[in-house]
Amino acid sequence: MEDKTLIRFRDIVMSFEDQLVLKKINLDIQENEFVTLLGPSGCGKTTLLRILGGFLEPTEGQVIFDGEDIAKLPPYKRELNTVFQKYALFPHMTVYDNIAFGLKIKKMSKDVIEQKVMKMMKLIGLEGYEGKNVTLLSGGQQQRVAIARALVNEPKVLLLDEPLGALDLKLRKEMQYELKRIQQEVGITFIYVTHDQEEALTMSDKIVVMKAGEIQQIGTPQQIYNEPVNRYVADFVGESNIIPGRMIDDYLVRFDDHDFKCVDFGFPRNAPVDVVLRPEDIDIVPVDEGQVNGTVDSVLFKGQQYEVIVETVPGTSVTVRMRVVKSNEVTSADGKEKISANDFFVDIEDVPSLDDKEVIARADAQAWDPSTDEYLSISNIQYEVKEEEGEYPVVFSTQGGTMIQKTIYVVNQPVVKNPKANEAVMAFNFFKTVDELQEAQTLDTDLKTWASAQAWKLSNEDESVDLYVDYDFDLENIREGASYPVTFATTGREFKIRTTDYVEEGAEVGLRFGPEDIHVMHKETNY
Amino acid sequence: MKRFSQLAVPYIVWSVIMLLLPMVLVVFYAFTDTGNAILSFQFTLRHFIRFFTDPDFLLVLWRSLKIAFKTTVVCVILGYPVAYFIANSSDRMRNMLVLAITLPTWINMLVRTYAWIGLLSKGGLFSMIFGLFGFKDVEILYTETAVLIGMVYNFLPFMILQINTSLSKMDHSLLEAASDLGADGVQSFLKVTLPLSLPGVISGISLVFLPAVSSFFIPKLLGGGQYFLIGNVIENQFITVGEWNFGSAISVIMAVIMMLSMYLVRTLELRNSGGVRES
Repeated sequence: MEDKTLIRFRDIVMSFEDQLVLKKINLDIQENEFVTLLGPSGCGKTTLLRILGGFLEPTEGQVIFDGEDIAKLPPYKRELNTVFQKYALFPHMTVYDNIAFGLKIKKMSKDVIEQKVMKMMKLIGLEGYEGKNVTLLSGGQQQRVAIARALVNEPKVLLLDEPLGALDLKLRKEMQYELKRIQQEVGITFIYVTHDQEEALTMSDKIVVMKAGEIQQIGTPQQIYNEPVNRYVADFVGESNIIPGRMIDDYLVRFDDHDFKCVDFGFPRNAPVDVVLRPEDIDIVPVDEGQVNGTVDSVLFKGQQYEVIVETVPGTSVTVRMRVVKSNEVTSADGKEKISANDFFVDIEDVPSLDDKEVIARADAQAWDPSTDEYLSISNIQYEVKEEEGEYPVVFSTQGGTMIQKTIYVVNQPVVKNPKANEAVMAFNFFKTVDELQEAQTLDTDLKTWASAQAWKLSNEDESVDLYVDYDFDLENIREGASYPVTFATTGREFKIRTTDYVEEGAEVGLRFGPEDIHVMHKETNY
Repeated sequence: MKRFSQLAVPYIVWSVIMLLLPMVLVVFYAFTDTGNAILSFQFTLRHFIRFFTDPDFLLVLWRSLKIAFKTTVVCVILGYPVAYFIANSSDRMRNMLVLAITLPTWINMLVRTYAWIGLLSKGGLFSMIFGLFGFKDVEILYTETAVLIGMVYNFLPFMILQINTSLSKMDHSLLEAASDLGADGVQSFLKVTLPLSLPGVISGISLVFLPAVSSFFIPKLLGGGQYFLIGNVIENQFITVGEWNFGSAISVIMAVIMMLSMYLVRTLELRNSGGVRES
């Protein structure tokens, strides 16, 4: 196959009103190539295709087709045809007339048209359907007619805008092979837009991965899959374990406190990198043979294989006590005002930064008019806390003089540190009433707020780590006066592995992967 | 579901009384005559024979069909471009334009037709305009042209709205597809837009032709008694002459003619679109 560039996008910029949809796209497409534009919705892939089709005029840049700038040419003067997302078949015409449309416009003779249409009917395997009404065809059949209607004009390029999106999974797979076969048979360039990475990998000669109006990577399916240039591509194409690490030296990368040989080089020494390990490249082995060891967290049967999650670095967790207290409301003598608040814990270190607003928030202090349910402002707060452990009273009061007294517990809260996972977690005991608990709309998030639970990286205190919440009380049967444990934990390091061998959940296993299975990428700064 | 369907019973009873009964009565009158001492009614085809053997009535019928046909043709020719323009406007513009088209119909038809008398009469706006071009004393009022103008004016909105609806419903990607397959603007219009808007044109035609054939106050006001249409004849039979039976017979004849003409138009449409119907 000779490599002749057929289409060149040069510095294509597209903006709709204030929104920049394409940011200086440069892309070359060769003759007879099956090129896929791959990306999530809104990445600009369809816009790029529509610019090539002539339905949009780029704000800036050139579209060079066969050596000629066609950016301003209307669609009907372009030597390419499109298969539209929803097929756009003419509902008032038969299958035959739909396919013959372009030829009739070109005023070809009747017998030539018939010959060409029949050839197409054969190519798409719909012989005998000529006289059918297109609206009565199935989705897959309409799809084929749309392809035939475009191909019969013998375009140099066929544009396909998510053509399989509306079909069911089985039909979609069939059509993928069908499309590839048709492309090889007619031997023209296909430009295919999809958000389905599997579709892209199956059919393409070349994949263009796009994100937010920019091209991330251009390459063969193998290159895109095995050597993604950044975390975004690795994440979007196929499943992957992406682990932050450091490049110790050429051919040596360090992550999760282990050094691993790899085949990557040319990074600056100690450069922070992302490491990709594909789930199918990791082998599960006995513990003494493993490069990394861990516990099997879950095993999921996925048809051809199992998807195994192995935890190599346990998460970090802290358990606090939630005390369920009696109603904390105080009603004014005339019954016109109510006020409520809770006792709360504060770390010694946080005492200096405590102010009125913070105290109200931590105590969840509220005042309201019981007859109208309108909130009243808390006009006065009195407290005195010292930077030493102990119990300090706090009084909240309203304009009307209704007041409530609560206790601030200043404690020296230990931080749970986990150097192996480079993480630290902290949370406080807290007090809540049954009503407050049962009214919580997002209990997990509320629990984190109430306990002031937080987790961060030991190496960088500003980098927070996600926490999940675990508790085993039942909101319906909560008792006043009781206290319940609540655990906040991080996930640690987990590897996703695809294997055909079954392993027991909870088993200790080793993981092995070769240097060639490790792919090191530059850390993406704007991710 | 059965319980719910019972809720429709009062509605059905109402429809029968208000819609079906008058029609049955008209048909009944058309085929009967006030009878002798023994029978109060007797069956007869006299009224139909009378209508079809009197050249005056046939002339009026022919004239009615002719003017209704002309009205319809003018409405299609004027209405289609307007509807096309409306359908291709931005959403806001389209709503405004549809409102502008609908607005006059909020005022009573009779009142608006009276307004045309002023416009078309001697010394009215139109004769003044013609005067500017050297045509002195042109009087359009009380001519066939006046009746035609009045009918087009009254029925045009129905045509525009119907065509606009079918054009607005059309999938824009079909035009992109046509353009993609090499059709320029004119070819796209002729091969895609026009055939797909035909159902709208057809229902527009029914909404214009049917009331135009039987309209009686427009010819009465703008034709000034000199231009007599079938609607006026029926009105006369009922109100002036008091021949209810004959009036009913003419109504039945008109109903049959309209049904036949609608049937004709629909079959024509089906044949044009190659037997493929929109599903």
